Amino acid sequence: MIEKATITIDGKKIQARYGQTVLQAAREHGIYIPVLCDHPALPPEGACRICLVEIERQRTLQPACTFPVSEGLVIHTHSPKVMEARKFSLELLISDHPLDCMTCEATGNCLLQDLAYEYGITGDRYQGEKHSYAIDASNPFIVVDRNKCILCRRCVRACTYINGVEAISVFYRGFNAYIGFGADSTMQDSPCEFCGSCVEVCPTGALWPKMTLGKGRPYQLQKVQTVCTYCGVGCQIELQVRNNHIVNVVGVENAPVNQGFTCVKGRFGNDFVHHADRLTKPRVRKYLLEGGKRAGKERGEWIEVDWDTALEIVSRKLIETRNTYGSDAVGLLTSAKCTNEENYLMNKLARQIIGTNNIDHCARLCHSSTVAGLAISFGSGAMSNSIEDVTQQAKVFFVIGSNTTEQHPVIGMKIRQAVRQRDAILIVADPRQIPLVDFATLHLQHKPGTDIALLNGLMYLILKNGWEDKDFIAERTEGFEEFKAVVEQYPPEVVSEITGVPQELLHEAAQIMGTHKPMAVIWAMGITQHTTGVYNVMSLANLQMLLGNMGIPGGGVNPLRGQNNVQGACDMGGLPNVYPAYQPVTSEEAAKKFSEAWGAPMSTKVGMTVTEMIPAAKEGKIKALYIMAEDPMMSDPDTNHVRECLEACEFVVLQDIFYTETAPYADVLLPGVSFAEKSGTFTNTERRIQLVRQALQPLEGARPDWQILCEVANRILASPENGRKVDNQAPYAHWDYRQPSEIMDEINALAPSYAGVKYERLQRGETFQWPVKDEHHVGTPILHVGKFARGLGKFAAIEHIPAAELPDEAYPMILSTGRVLYHWHGGELSRRSQGLLEIYPKPLIEVHPEDAERLGLNGQRRVRVTSRRGSIVAEAWITDRVLPGMVYANFHFPEASANVLTHAALDPIAKIPEYKVCAVKVEAVE
Amino acid sequence: MSETFEDQTFDLAPLLEILEGYKDQKGAVIPILQRTQEVYGYLPKPILKEISKRMRIPLSRIQGVATFYAQFHLKRRGRHLIRVCDGTACHVKGAMKTVDVIHEQLETPPGGSSPDYKYTLEIVYCLGSCGLAPVVVVDEKVYGQTEPDKLVRQLKRLD
Repeated sequence: MIEKATITIDGKKIQARYGQTVLQAAREHGIYIPVLCDHPALPPEGACRICLVEIERQRTLQPACTFPVSEGLVIHTHSPKVMEARKFSLELLISDHPLDCMTCEATGNCLLQDLAYEYGITGDRYQGEKHSYAIDASNPFIVVDRNKCILCRRCVRACTYINGVEAISVFYRGFNAYIGFGADSTMQDSPCEFCGSCVEVCPTGALWPKMTLGKGRPYQLQKVQTVCTYCGVGCQIELQVRNNHIVNVVGVENAPVNQGFTCVKGRFGNDFVHHADRLTKPRVRKYLLEGGKRAGKERGEWIEVDWDTALEIVSRKLIETRNTYGSDAVGLLTSAKCTNEENYLMNKLARQIIGTNNIDHCARLCHSSTVAGLAISFGSGAMSNSIEDVTQQAKVFFVIGSNTTEQHPVIGMKIRQAVRQRDAILIVADPRQIPLVDFATLHLQHKPGTDIALLNGLMYLILKNGWEDKDFIAERTEGFEEFKAVVEQYPPEVVSEITGVPQELLHEAAQIMGTHKPMAVIWAMGITQHTTGVYNVMSLANLQMLLGNMGIPGGGVNPLRGQNNVQGACDMGGLPNVYPAYQPVTSEEAAKKFSEAWGAPMSTKVGMTVTEMIPAAKEGKIKALYIMAEDPMMSDPDTNHVRECLEACEFVVLQDIFYTETAPYADVLLPGVSFAEKSGTFTNTERRIQLVRQALQPLEGARPDWQILCEVANRILASPENGRKVDNQAPYAHWDYRQPSEIMDEINALAPSYAGVKYERLQRGETFQWPVKDEHHVGTPILHVGKFARGLGKFAAIEHIPAAELPDEAYPMILSTGRVLYHWHGGELSRRSQGLLEIYPKPLIEVHPEDAERLGLNGQRRVRVTSRRGSIVAEAWITDRVLPGMVYANFHFPEASANVLTHAALDPIAKIPEYKVCAVKVEAVE
Repeated sequence: MSETFEDQTFDLAPLLEILEGYKDQKGAVIPILQRTQEVYGYLPKPILKEISKRMRIPLSRIQGVATFYAQFHLKRRGRHLIRVCDGTACHVKGAMKTVDVIHEQLETPPGGSSPDYKYTLEIVYCLGSCGLAPVVVVDEKVYGQTEPDKLVRQLKRLD
């Protein structure tokens, strides 16, 4: 129980709580006290003296932002003495402030200006020395104008308490004091990650987004709240729009995930929406207009056509292919970038209109092993807990195979906050020295592809010391004895040999895990993208069951999903084995349900995965591919092989916003629109469904993806050639949606975990995590509470299996692949964002200094990396981020994409490729 | 292991020894910087970066502390520190004349060092020995009632 205190503010008696400051209590009760340095998201600073109030029986005026509440305080917020003091502070601040409000970007969004207005400060009273700092506009994102800085230290606190890298501080003293970065460098040479939290909290125009300069006053902008389109964290952002252009982006303050803050991509990376490369007219190959056939793999020239022509060709060719070769000769790639509604329609197009389960998407390439592994262990394949409970309540974070601060930056920030602010323990297991290691108590730098051995080794020590949760194991799990028998084969000396992790680190890690509860496990591609991906995931499930960390806040299994809506694309049946909400296609019951709903017979045969469909195109089993907003030429392994397969495919439709690397292999291009030009819903990594609101009119000529899909479906349904019967009396046979909410109504009826996801609720500001059982249910923040989805949790006995391709004499080094903070996947979006491209303009290959020396490299030398499948040349970044004997490359740039080198060795269960390990040789290039 | 900065190369071994002593101590920025400055004469940027990296203290925090306190120096210092008092008494007695002569003849500007890094000149405000005005302190030695030319001759004789 928190004790209440009765205090009186301006004659009004209020009930405050002990532990609050006077300012917090006043705010809570709607009483206005002006501030400059205080910000609700940051700890109090007491620097600006604007919030001074008169408290009876106090000798002097007191800052409301730091003065603690106690019983019986009598406070005056606007007494003459207070007003005089505030005026004095403001006069002094203004005396060293450029009075250029007419041209200042912050006008209309400046606390100093507001207060000067409120208190009638003109700047005439004190004349003295003024600073004249040079404006620093040298980085692509943030303009630093120290002349406008009032040293409130909001940015310092934001960088410390929100981001955690502490790139900003105050240098020097007194009149000479100023805000600086790193060791007094530019922002870009400091550890700054350009998350823009400092810009978000700056009360004046001292820190300002560069993209906004001259584009409009805050009050001239139309503001639309939506969800970021980059990663799966699901930050809510506000697009500020003028003349159908995004001119600024800020975080949404009361957003459940990000509370007003974002990362660099979410805030500064949205200008791709307006890039000149946007497709605005459908295109088809000339041969299609002439009614002829394609000459082999040469697709011939593009012709721009109107929508009717393009859509007619698409529907005709899809019907033709199906009539000639059968439904399963068509493959569809849906998109983790698109909305739930669009993914639902793609699933309906595949299963109802075409009659195939050949539908998949890039989830195959990132977390299919998670979905499969967790389904085996627990019966449900999603992140079990919420970002909030994990980051606020975990005593220990075990981050394995997740470069969280670069790939899920806002969650990464929250982990850093937990470590810095509440002494949570962080254990990082990663072959690379990722940035989070700087915040970790332990770094287990295991060799790529040895996760199972590492985890078995840790569990061996947990069992040996009796740290396992015996009650949990007895009550909620099965298969423990078989599991134990295998784990007992992994003593530290064996594990250390396999993984390269020193034995004492194994002991320390096991002790931390065994003696602190709850521990949250967080993982991403470092676990999943292996031929043992499913087993890796099941080993993590074993660990969390062993420690009894399931079904409790601060614990759980927490796979961080990659794309903004990859969770939703899976939920909506964008997978070859399930209908929406994971109803198996092999189940007669589910087939019956969907046949009745959609009015067409359903196939009970599991379809092909993306990693099967593309090779099948070369083998002639897949004749037509319909690709919505995916770029297999960048994202799939072994690019040269993908190219051959796409070249061989008879008919490829690509629906996208840009002419991507896959576009040269398409026969028809249909211009879709970006997230800012349509509405719908995205589901983030923690299963939270959030509303995407349209902020812009679609670019002229382009169309929202859901409308394109409806057009295609309706044309096929109406075609006399269509050989597949659809009963138009069935309740959901039709494709006449007027808006995305009507698609969601259909999803509500057919996908039980989305039953209560109503637009009316979302529009009211509700957000919830599935399962949402009905329209009154508030959703499910934590899965597996009290009982696993499958009943008992299943321990699995798992042995270490080496990676499929290990170094040998010809290819002596290990290549691991991934992404960097400033880019996104195949780079289609981030390379078209001016700032992101400027700050990270070219591919870099990380090479360890020892290897660099051996290879005769220095800082500027280029390297050629060659695998059995291909070769790339790029600049080397000599860094101890990687282990000796290992190189690391990203797949953001087509000129040197890591996927030219990677191989398509697949996990036998999930069919995910082993992106994280392959053998390469590295040479210096003159 | 070594680092190079402003044409100087620093041996990192003594730094590592200092840091070892503060390994398990939180909030030891000031003593670390003091001991580091004792070894290197000032606080070169690469050394600060090394401290930041090894102690996991954000660089900006170190820079903030190093610039806040007058005791820390971020620029390379001469072998001999000349502190000329310009407090009221010394000022009246012509302290600034001494400064000008040192500047001119030893090529050492106030707040800076000579090109050969033999001298560093600082102006300070009252050393508490007004009876000896104008006062100059060179390293640890006090010179009272100084005459500029004589002082310069004495300074030139230093190593």
